[in-house]
Amino acid sequence: MRALCGARVLSLGVLHMAYVLNRLLSVILTLFLITLVTFAVTNILPGDVAMMIMGTQSNPEALAGLRQSLGLNDPLLVQYGHWVGGMVTGDWGTSLIFKKPIIELLGQKALASAIIVIMSMTIALALAVPLGVWAAVHRDKWQDTVSSSSALMGVSLPDFFWGILMILVFARWLGWFPSSGFVDPSVDFWATLRHAFLPSFALGLGLMAHLTRMTRSTMTGILSQEFIRVARAKGLAERTVIWRYALANAIGPVITIAGLQIGYLFGSIIVMESLFGYTGMGWLTYQALLNRDLPLIQYTVVFIAAVVMLTNLAVDLLYVVIDPRIRLG
Amino acid sequence: MKDIVTVDHLRVEFSTDDGPVIGVKDVSFAIAPGETLCVVGESGSGKSVTSLSLMRLVEFGGGTITNGALNFVRMDGTTLDVAAASPQVMGAVRGNEIGMIFQEPMTALNPVFTIERQLTDGLMLHKGLSQEAATARALDLLKSVRIPEPERRLKQYPHELSGGMRQRVVIAIAIAMACEPKLLIADEPTTALDVTIQAEILALINRLKRENGMAVLFITHDMAVVAQMADRVVVMRHGSIVETGTVQQIFENPQEDYTKALLAAVPKLGEMKGKAAPERMRLIGDEAARAAQTAPKPRKPQVLLQVKNLTTRFPVKGGILRRTVAQVHAVEDVSFTLNVGETLALVGESGCGKSSCGRSILRLIEPTSGEVWIGGRDIGALNRQDLRRARADMQMVFQDPFASLNPYRRLKDQVAEPIQNFGLASGAELRDWVLQLFDRVRLPREFMNRFPHELSGGQRQRVAIARALAVNPKLIVADEAVSALDVSVQAQVLNLMMELQEDLGLSYLFISHDMAVVERVAHHVGVMYLGRIVEIGPRGSVFDNPSHPYTKSLLSAVPIADPSKRRFAEDLAFKPISSPIFPLDHRPALSVYTEVAPGHHVLQA
Amino acid sequence: MKRFKTTKGLIGIVLLLVILLVAILGPMVIPPDAATAMDMRARRAPPSLTHFFGTDQLGRDMFYRVILGTRTSLEIAVSAVVMSIVLGLPLGLISGYLGGLIDNVLMRLVDTLLAFPALLLALTISAVLGPNIQNTIIAIGVAFTPYLARIIRGEALRVAQMPYVEAARSSGTTDIMIMWRHVLPNIMPAVIVQSTISLAFAILAEAGLSFLGLGTQPPAASWGLMIQASRDQLDIAPWTALVPGMAVALTVLGLNMFGDVLRDILDPRAK
Repeated sequence: MRALCGARVLSLGVLHMAYVLNRLLSVILTLFLITLVTFAVTNILPGDVAMMIMGTQSNPEALAGLRQSLGLNDPLLVQYGHWVGGMVTGDWGTSLIFKKPIIELLGQKALASAIIVIMSMTIALALAVPLGVWAAVHRDKWQDTVSSSSALMGVSLPDFFWGILMILVFARWLGWFPSSGFVDPSVDFWATLRHAFLPSFALGLGLMAHLTRMTRSTMTGILSQEFIRVARAKGLAERTVIWRYALANAIGPVITIAGLQIGYLFGSIIVMESLFGYTGMGWLTYQALLNRDLPLIQYTVVFIAAVVMLTNLAVDLLYVVIDPRIRLG
Repeated sequence: MKDIVTVDHLRVEFSTDDGPVIGVKDVSFAIAPGETLCVVGESGSGKSVTSLSLMRLVEFGGGTITNGALNFVRMDGTTLDVAAASPQVMGAVRGNEIGMIFQEPMTALNPVFTIERQLTDGLMLHKGLSQEAATARALDLLKSVRIPEPERRLKQYPHELSGGMRQRVVIAIAIAMACEPKLLIADEPTTALDVTIQAEILALINRLKRENGMAVLFITHDMAVVAQMADRVVVMRHGSIVETGTVQQIFENPQEDYTKALLAAVPKLGEMKGKAAPERMRLIGDEAARAAQTAPKPRKPQVLLQVKNLTTRFPVKGGILRRTVAQVHAVEDVSFTLNVGETLALVGESGCGKSSCGRSILRLIEPTSGEVWIGGRDIGALNRQDLRRARADMQMVFQDPFASLNPYRRLKDQVAEPIQNFGLASGAELRDWVLQLFDRVRLPREFMNRFPHELSGGQRQRVAIARALAVNPKLIVADEAVSALDVSVQAQVLNLMMELQEDLGLSYLFISHDMAVVERVAHHVGVMYLGRIVEIGPRGSVFDNPSHPYTKSLLSAVPIADPSKRRFAEDLAFKPISSPIFPLDHRPALSVYTEVAPGHHVLQA
Repeated sequence: MKRFKTTKGLIGIVLLLVILLVAILGPMVIPPDAATAMDMRARRAPPSLTHFFGTDQLGRDMFYRVILGTRTSLEIAVSAVVMSIVLGLPLGLISGYLGGLIDNVLMRLVDTLLAFPALLLALTISAVLGPNIQNTIIAIGVAFTPYLARIIRGEALRVAQMPYVEAARSSGTTDIMIMWRHVLPNIMPAVIVQSTISLAFAILAEAGLSFLGLGTQPPAASWGLMIQASRDQLDIAPWTALVPGMAVALTVLGLNMFGDVLRDILDPRAK
C-alpha cells in the first residue's frame, strides 16, 4: 500500500523504465550467481573431476595430463575466472564426448527443445484453463470432483510414465506418431511436429494437472470477490461475469504460475527427450551427465538455468503490461 | 401509495457440511416508494441475507430461498415474485430496476477494467445504448454522484481512485439505469469508510432518493446511521425480526428488550456535555456494574507519559536499487502529556498517524526523532535490554481480536507469557496470578485451558486485556481496541476498561476513529491530521468548542444516534485528506499551538 | 463435497498405510532371495498365479521386486525430505522473521537456486558425487531445499506481521522465544502440508533419477530402475513397465490426496 502511494509520486512511464532497469540489474547479478552455483556444484563437491571424467580405473599419467589440460591444478578462483572469462568472450570450449565446440552444440539443441517446451505449454494451457474455470464455477459439485480427480491423477503419475504409455498406445499400437527421433524443421517441418508431439503431449499432461489446480484456486478466489457480486447486481449474464470479468483477473496469476512451471518443464525434458531419443537440450544434458563431460555439463546447466530465469523475467514484465495495477512490492 | 416491495415470510437456508443452517426465517416487511427502510442488527442477524435475497444473489453464496414471497412492482406495473423468477428475468431486473451498493468499495470494482467500461457495460446491456451514448451517460452519472474531474475518471482504473470515490462509482453503477432504479439496496455502504466520507455518501444517497423518488433498503449495524437515514426501521437478530416501526418509535419508545439494550449500548455524541469525568455506559442487565461506579477520587494530576516532538517517517522505496525516494511523514512533531489514571484519546481518520504514534511510543516501530518519557526514563534512549525491561510498564491492546491471540497456544499460556518474560512468578504462584487476571476481566476460569477459536470476539478482547494487565503496567495503548466488536460487546468492553482504570489507576492512550466512543471514555482528546495533533485539550473543551477547522468538520460529520438531530440532508464535500508523502529534502514546519482555553491548544495554520 | 473430501482423505490414508506396511513389513515377510532369484525358463512371464505381477527380463518375480522397491523409494524420499526440512526450515524461518539484510542475501541465493530445475540440480549433484542411494538422498534433499525455504519464509513473514507477534514483542518476549513459541507453531501446518507434497515429488524424482541411471543402482530394486529396464520390451512385456508405474502412481496419489485433505484441514486460506 505504501509502495502504491509512492508510485503516485512518480509518473507511470518513469516507473516502468525504473522497474525494467531494476529487473535487468538483478538479472545480471543472478546470472553471475548462477555461474557461481554451477561452478561450486561441479567443482567444490567432493570428487576428483579428472577421475570423474576418466573413471576410477584410469592410469595416473593420463589423469595428470587431463588435470593439466583442464587447468585443475590452478587455485579454484583462477579456474573460475578462466571459465567465466571464456564464457564472456565466447570461447566456450569443446565437448569431450562430441568433440565439437559447445557453443555449436547448444545452438542446435536449443531449437529442438524450444519446440517441445512451447508445444507442451500450449497443450497444457489449452486444457487447463477451461477445466480449471469449469471446476471453480461448479465448485463443490460433481464437475469439480471430476476436474480435481483428473488433475490429481495427472500430478501423481511420473511424466516418463506418461511417455511410456504414449509410446505404447500412439506409436506401437496405433502407429499414429513416431516413437523416437528429431527432424530438423528446415528439412521437414511437418515431420518435426509429428516427432515432437508425443513427448510434448506427455509433458503437457503432467503440466496441465498442476495448472488446472492453480487455475481453479485462482478463479475460486476471484469469484468470491465483491466486484463479482457487483457485476451480477448489474444484471450481467453469468457467462459475461465468468469469462470476461473473472477471467480477465485470472490471466495474470495463471500466466505467472505457468511461467514458474518453465523450471519444472526444463527438468522434465531431460527425462522425456532421453525417453523419446529426441535430441534436444535435455538429451544433450543427459549425455553430458552420463558421460561425465564436465565442460558440457557446466554449460548446459548454466544455459538451462539462465533460460529459466529469463523466461521468468519475461513473464514478470508481461504481467506489468497485462495488469493495470503496477504492483512493485 | 402502493408498496414497491413486499417481503412475506421469507426463509433462507444455507447448506453446510453440518446440514442446513437457517439464514433468516419468517421475515416480512414492505417498502413504499421514496421511503428508506433500515434493517439493523449485529453480526449474524441475517440482515445481509435479506438484502441478497431480494436480488437473488444469495444463491451464489450457497443459500436457498425455501419459503416466502418477495413481491416487487416492476417498472411496467406488473408484480414479480423475485423468489420464483427465472434467471433471465432476474438478469433484466438486477441493475436495471433494483440497484445495489456493497460494503467494500476497495474491492467492489473490477481492478483490470477502466471505470468507463464498468459503467457502460450495464447501460449497453439493459438500455441497448451505443458505445458513445453509454459513455456520455456514464459521464452524466459520475457528475450526478459528484465525483471531481469526471472526464478523467472514466479512463482510470479503480486503484487510482480513493475509497470514497470508488464508493461513488459503485453508486453510479447502481443508479445507472434511467436514473431510476425503483429500489436501491445499500448493504453497509459506509462501514469501511472514514466518517467524513461516510457523511458525504449518506448525503448523496439522501439526495438521489429525494430527486428520483426511489425506495432505499439500507442495511447497517450502526444505530447512529439508522437514526440519520431511516424512515422506518426493522431490527433483526439471529435471522428473525425483533421489532419494526418508524424511526421515531424505535428510538423514542422501543418495545422489545433487545432493541432497548441495543440502544443503551450506543454512545450518542453530545450526551456527555457538561460532565467532567468519563462515565460507564448504562447497560441493560449490567446495573450491578453501574452501581459499583464510585465518584472519581479527586487525584492530584501526576504526569505519567510525556511525549516531546515525536516524529516517525517511513521510507518510500523506488527506482533502481530500491533507494529511498520519498518519505511518509506518519507522525510529525507530536507532543503531549498523559496523567496517571487518565485517558488521552487520539482521534482521526485512517492514515492520520494515530496508530503509528502509539506504536512509536512503545517503540514497536522506531521513531525518527523525539523523546518519550515514562516514569523518568526516556524510552527512545534505551538499549535493547533496557527497552525489554521497560516494556513491563507499557502494554498494548490491538484492534483485531482474531489476530491478536496466537491460535495455537492455550489462553493461560498467552496471559502468563509476559509474567514469565520478566521472571515475576512461576509454578502455583503463576497459576494464581493468571487466575486472578481472568477474574479481573470477568472471564470464567474454565476458559484458561481453551484455545482462542473457542471464544467470541468480545471474550478474546478480554483475554487480550488480561494479557496486557499481566505485568501491572502503568500505561496501556489501546489501538482501536473496541472497533471490531458489535456494539453491545463494545459497550461491555469499554465499561471493563473504565472500571479497570478506576480500580488500578491505569492510564490509557486510547486510539480511535469513533468520536462518540471517545467522548464517553476520554479525559483529554487529541485530534490528529496528517501526522500532527491539530487540536488537543480537555474532552469537554474540545467537543464543546472545536477550534481547528478539521476538528469542526470531523465533528459535523459524525452521525448522531438520535433521529431528531438529522444532519445529512444536503450534499457535503469535505476537503480530501492530502498525501503525507514528501520528498526527502522536505523540511516540515514545527508545530506551534495557540491556547484557546486552559489546557486547550490549537495548531496554528 | 464434504463426502468427496472425506472419501478422498480416507482413500489417501488407506493407500499410505498399505504402502507403509508393505515398505516396513514386506522385506521381512517375503522369502529372502525371492526378489533376486532368476528363473531363466520364466523370463518375461505374464502375470499368473505363480508370479502375480509376472517376471522381468531376467525371470525375477516382479511382485517381490515391487515390494522391495517400495522400501527403497520411501527410504530415499523420506530421508531427502527430512534433509530439505532440516536445511530449509531454519533458513526460511530466520529469513522471514528477521528480514532485512539477512533476508535479502539468503533469498537472493534461494532465488538463484530456484532457477535450476530441481531435477537438473539433483541429476548434476548425483552425477558429480557418483550415483548411489546415499548420494541420491543428498541430491534430492539439496535440490528441494530452496523450494521449502521459499515457502517457509513466506509463511514466517506472514506470521511475523500478526498482532500476536507484536503483542509478544511488546510484552518483552525475546526474538528467539517469539520464533519458538509463536512463529514456529503457526507455520507448522504449512510445513506439514508442504512436506507431504514434497514427499510425493521426491518419490517422482527418485524414480526419474533411477530411470536415467543416475539414482539407485542395480542390483537394488527400485521402481525407476524397473521401468528403465522395461523400455526395450514394451511390446512383449508391457507389465514390466505398468506394474512399477502403478506402484509409483498409487504412492504419489495417496500422498497427494492426503496432502490435499491436510491442506483443507490445516490451512483455511487455501480454500
